[in-house]
Amino acid sequence: MRFLLGLGAAIVLGLILHLAVILALPAFASQTTWSRIEALGPANHVVVLPPVAAGAPNPLHLDPELAYAVCRVNLAQRPGVVSGVLPNAFWSLAIFNKAGDVTYSTTNRDGIGQNLNLGIFNADQTHLLAEQQIDVADGLLIVESNSNDVFVLVRIAPPHQAERARYEQALSKIVCGNIRQ
Amino acid sequence: MRFVLKLLGFVAVALIVGFGLSYYALSDGRVLGAVRVGPWAAWPAMGSSAPDPYTRAYLVRAGALQLGQSEGIVFTALSDSDGHPLDRNCRYRLEGATPVASFWTLVALAPDGSNIATRGGQQALQSRHIARANDGSMALYVSRTLAPENWLEIDGTGAFELQLTLYDTSNLSGSGTSVQALPSISKEACGA
Repeated sequence: MRFLLGLGAAIVLGLILHLAVILALPAFASQTTWSRIEALGPANHVVVLPPVAAGAPNPLHLDPELAYAVCRVNLAQRPGVVSGVLPNAFWSLAIFNKAGDVTYSTTNRDGIGQNLNLGIFNADQTHLLAEQQIDVADGLLIVESNSNDVFVLVRIAPPHQAERARYEQALSKIVCGNIRQ
Repeated sequence: MRFVLKLLGFVAVALIVGFGLSYYALSDGRVLGAVRVGPWAAWPAMGSSAPDPYTRAYLVRAGALQLGQSEGIVFTALSDSDGHPLDRNCRYRLEGATPVASFWTLVALAPDGSNIATRGGQQALQSRHIARANDGSMALYVSRTLAPENWLEIDGTGAFELQLTLYDTSNLSGSGTSVQALPSISKEACGA
């Protein structure tokens, strides 16, 4: 009986330890999505990710059929903006916060077409926008972010791999940074 | 002495349960939040803006660029439809329908996540480039040895996994809540 009680107590302690590991892991991880994106280059600068090679490590879990561009933006001083014209193919966009969560995502099937024109505002900036204290260009798709540190990932699917270079070039021409006031 | 042994046993059980469960939960044994269709499994919460603690811990550990819920969803298969682990020594036939999506891709990955397609060959099968029968059905082959129709040629030895990514699908992303069907995975032959 005492053995079973001891075993039960050890299992309960193990479960507590397990929950502690799950909850604490995000705070202690070193190689996070954010750190990997941060290592690619400075903020407000679009980086086209190199294509995945067979047999090579693929830490970001990229799809070899797609081309990717990423840009890091800080919203502390001014809202962020990402704009460009992309080729007529499937593309999608996701905004990640520092924790690596996708806070917003969309595809060009959602009526955006080829024009990418996205404004990223924090809660205070959204409030100012509602009070018309921030001027933005017409047609800007406004997205509110719960974090000042974000990065935007644009995925595009070239119809054929032979056209990949042209699609990557279009990605490299995306403008990313803060809205000028 | 007996007390010390009991204490050591107590601590050992607690550590094994605690870290063992954590490892299982954060590797491919993730059971919470999984959607399973035959041999395929997906974790829709990965693309959520507020994932549960298990999904968040997994995402942090993976450090990957997951798809947002509006962008699509990834299904992973570690075994064939009979439950046998996928082995690069065997030829597999994938047959059946895929849920509605703008397009999908199929890749074969080593346990470390690297693509195991033959160097110089195509690294993925894509729905827009595959041959279909008149009724729209399709058969895909994944193997090291020559295969008919739509063939994803792989290399090396050992276990692998298949990853089917559905882009711009309503299934499990936003309005959709279920997946009707995914291709079956049948082992055809093994050996050289």
